[in-house]
Amino acid sequence: MEIDDILKELDTIFREILKNDTITLGRETTAKDVDGWDSLTNMRLITAIEKYYDIRFGLREILKFKNVGDLCASIQAKKK
Amino acid sequence: MDRKDILKDIVRAYKKYPNNAAFVIDGTSYTYKEVFARVQGIMPSVQGTQGDIIGIVAEDRIETYASILAVLLSGKTYVILHPSYPASRNRTIAEITGMNIVLHSTPSEIVESLPDGMKCISTLELRDDTPGKNLLDIKHDEDTNAYIIFTSGSTGVPKGVQITRKNLNAFYETYRHLDWRLGPTDRMLQMFELTFDVSVVSTLYPLTLGACIYTVGSDKLKYMRVYELMEDEELTHVTIPPSVLQFLSPYFDEIHVPKLKFLVVTAEAANADLLERFRPCAPNAEFVNFYGPTEATIYCTVYLIPRENCKHHNGMIAIGKPFEGIETLIMDEKGHPVIPGEQGELWVSGDQIMAGYWKDREKTEQVFARVDGEIYYKTGDLCHVDSDGDIIYRGRKDYQVKVQGFRVELSEIEYRAKKFFPNETNAVVVPKKAEDGGCQLHLFIGSTACDRNELLQHLKQHLPTYMIPTEIHLLEEFPLNTSGKIDRKALMTFI
Repeated sequence: MEIDDILKELDTIFREILKNDTITLGRETTAKDVDGWDSLTNMRLITAIEKYYDIRFGLREILKFKNVGDLCASIQAKKK
Repeated sequence: MDRKDILKDIVRAYKKYPNNAAFVIDGTSYTYKEVFARVQGIMPSVQGTQGDIIGIVAEDRIETYASILAVLLSGKTYVILHPSYPASRNRTIAEITGMNIVLHSTPSEIVESLPDGMKCISTLELRDDTPGKNLLDIKHDEDTNAYIIFTSGSTGVPKGVQITRKNLNAFYETYRHLDWRLGPTDRMLQMFELTFDVSVVSTLYPLTLGACIYTVGSDKLKYMRVYELMEDEELTHVTIPPSVLQFLSPYFDEIHVPKLKFLVVTAEAANADLLERFRPCAPNAEFVNFYGPTEATIYCTVYLIPRENCKHHNGMIAIGKPFEGIETLIMDEKGHPVIPGEQGELWVSGDQIMAGYWKDREKTEQVFARVDGEIYYKTGDLCHVDSDGDIIYRGRKDYQVKVQGFRVELSEIEYRAKKFFPNETNAVVVPKKAEDGGCQLHLFIGSTACDRNELLQHLKQHLPTYMIPTEIHLLEEFPLNTSGKIDRKALMTFI
């Protein structure tokens, strides 16, 4: 899987959960850049991503994500 | 009365442990000496100014915490302005308090939204490293406010809760005598917004010990930062709202914090099952539940949560015994004491009770009552006292509704709904007045993986017909307000 493909899929998940069709994620995007991405919605986003890719993140892994690029890299590694 | 002064104890700790770390903010450590160099640098800017009230822009920075100390040591009153508030709210607070001075560190948009003529002082460069200064020579009037905290008012104008030095020291007198066993080597969490009064104890109390405070700012993923600090910095004392544990609950099997001595839950009703599931993560910690309205200075009851047989009502952990110096009454709707053991509204009195809301006599009179010459604050919380004298919290007065003439406790429906799910799932009931004057109950469930019919059947098994919700709404997660509590008003918009 290419990172760009994952980004597109994440756009769909984020748009649905944050109810905002204008979200376009990049590798450098962080919670600060996205309205509504907070403690509460982070839980929902992680759950939705885990479900979509049929993977599971540990708490430590989530903590290490500094931006969306890190999240994509982790998804890519788990789907190999 | 010879009561301890919290500021004196803080200055004493600074003199005794100047090289201890006082704060760790975003990975940077500041010793007591460094903090007080800033405090001493800021103090001349606020001393001798007209008016007692000094505005402070809340930032997760050492200058913000130093500003709070500088204002208090100068005998003044601090009022927090918050970057996350709408500009109009900050402006309103500045206007109604009549503040002339606002302290901020980094350039802030708030500064531009304030009334003309406001003196805004940047604290970034303010330092005075002179050692041995007498910081306690300013005469402190016990009746001067230490801080004013603005809470949402029913009419849209924020209500200013005035807490005097006398209130704060009365609180401190009881709080410090609890069996904490904490000292200058302890590492303690401060994760609350400075607009919320638990931040006052999370900041000031560790400083009386020479201990170190780890702050979490207005991070968008606060619970992750709390977890990271708890585990990596081996915090020994944390105070959190139960919602933080709720967010971390899918990961409890990964969390291990054996150095934690105290887990304090506060700010909202804590769920007994949730705390019990967290026990293995913090095997050496005592769990404590604190209750208190802002009007009664931070906390006014305490319950040490036992490992077994935790007292609760519909899953909500008991709030325990009143603080020393706090008198409590459980009153019926007519303002008479209930029969012991019966449910009623909790009224509290004592030196921790505020003088009143800032310049709002009408609202103050609404919440105060006089019994045998003593002034009581009517909390709006429904409780009963059990045979051991423990106060058991049963829900908000406002959440009690009448349906077809029957008295309905919304938390009871919520409790039954939660029991339907094998995992931790939130359930909130919001009453809605129907056009015919009746009351409709809307049940919100924090999960979309739910069969409405099966849930209804379950509820019907446990509740009388009049308590069965009119509608069930399935939500992924609940909207929260700025204090991290479930925003019931926002839920109304889903109906």
